[in-house]
Amino acid sequence: MTRIGYALLVSLFGAGIVHIAVLMLLPYYTERDAWSLLSQTSDHYAMTKIGGSGATTPLVRSVDPLFSAVACRFDLKDGVVHVAGDGTVPFWSMSVYDRNGQNIYSFNDRTAPDGRVDFVVLTPVQTIEVRKTLPESFVDSVFVEADLAEGIVVVRAFVPDPTWRSAIDNFLSDVTCAPS
Amino acid sequence: MIRTIFFSAIILVVSIGGGAASVWLALNASEGIGAVVISGWTAFPDVGTPHADTYSKARFAREGGLSLGRAEGITFVASHDTSGNLLRRECSYQIEGQIPSARFWTLYVADEQRVVLPPTVRRIPALHSQEMLRTVDGAISITAGSHPAAGNWLGVSGRGPMQFVLTLYDTPAASSARVFEISLPQVLKVDCDD
Repeated sequence: MTRIGYALLVSLFGAGIVHIAVLMLLPYYTERDAWSLLSQTSDHYAMTKIGGSGATTPLVRSVDPLFSAVACRFDLKDGVVHVAGDGTVPFWSMSVYDRNGQNIYSFNDRTAPDGRVDFVVLTPVQTIEVRKTLPESFVDSVFVEADLAEGIVVVRAFVPDPTWRSAIDNFLSDVTCAPS
Repeated sequence: MIRTIFFSAIILVVSIGGGAASVWLALNASEGIGAVVISGWTAFPDVGTPHADTYSKARFAREGGLSLGRAEGITFVASHDTSGNLLRRECSYQIEGQIPSARFWTLYVADEQRVVLPPTVRRIPALHSQEMLRTVDGAISITAGSHPAAGNWLGVSGRGPMQFVLTLYDTPAASSARVFEISLPQVLKVDCDD
């Protein structure tokens, strides 16, 4: 009897350890996160449609049906990432996510100067180097300092009604994501 | 000897099985840790940010999501009406009340996986604040159901459970310090088709 009690106690303790281990390791080993889904269809620095009509990698839970969105994966070891676009739409917003899909930084068209999509993602070390000799193309850019290597940039735009769809899709397809 | 092996096997099976099952159960509970519930609407302001707790992080990793940032907005999901019953597509509902200040908001009908329902006739079942008819005091009243209604109508088709997903964009409510203070509209059941 004491033996069964002892076995139960040890099992419970073991179950606790397994519970914690599975919980902590899950984010690192999952193949269902946004990064894994994106990497199945597109390479680094390729702007991929993740929402709206004709999305190549639909991340359905992340994008409102009244929105269109594009995403691009980057690696800051290749240099800083410059994301730029042109044109005006009713609403756009952008987010920088880390490798695990956690939102690190976000802003929208009203918090960006001139309402233009123009920002640079870089690490604190790269910031120091870029500040020394600011390239001509970065003069108006918003600097997003993030202490990460790999990450995802997402630009979303609101589609108030279907007549806006093609204009919004053109706006998003003009957004570029390039290392420099 | 055989008893030792037997007990060791039992311990291993219970530990691994129990540990894995408890994680699975914890991650599938909808009213999880870190949830903010306001008059039947649930939001997870910290999910998808580095501030999230371990359970939210694990659940989020399995969903393949990219959540809205603080400057973008906040999403609320309602899966029950005011009397606590599950929302069903064969019933019609009245969504009434004030919506917190935001630049604009969207409301859509989704299935249990938060995927938008198929369109009724030509329209997808989604509305936004810029096409709303409002009452004198700025409140909204939306009829959601399969039968067309005057005023604001959110067309729903099919049978089975559903959820209302309300997203406020560019709103001060998105900072989680203030998310408890806001009030959201009520979801009242009108009637059901049998």
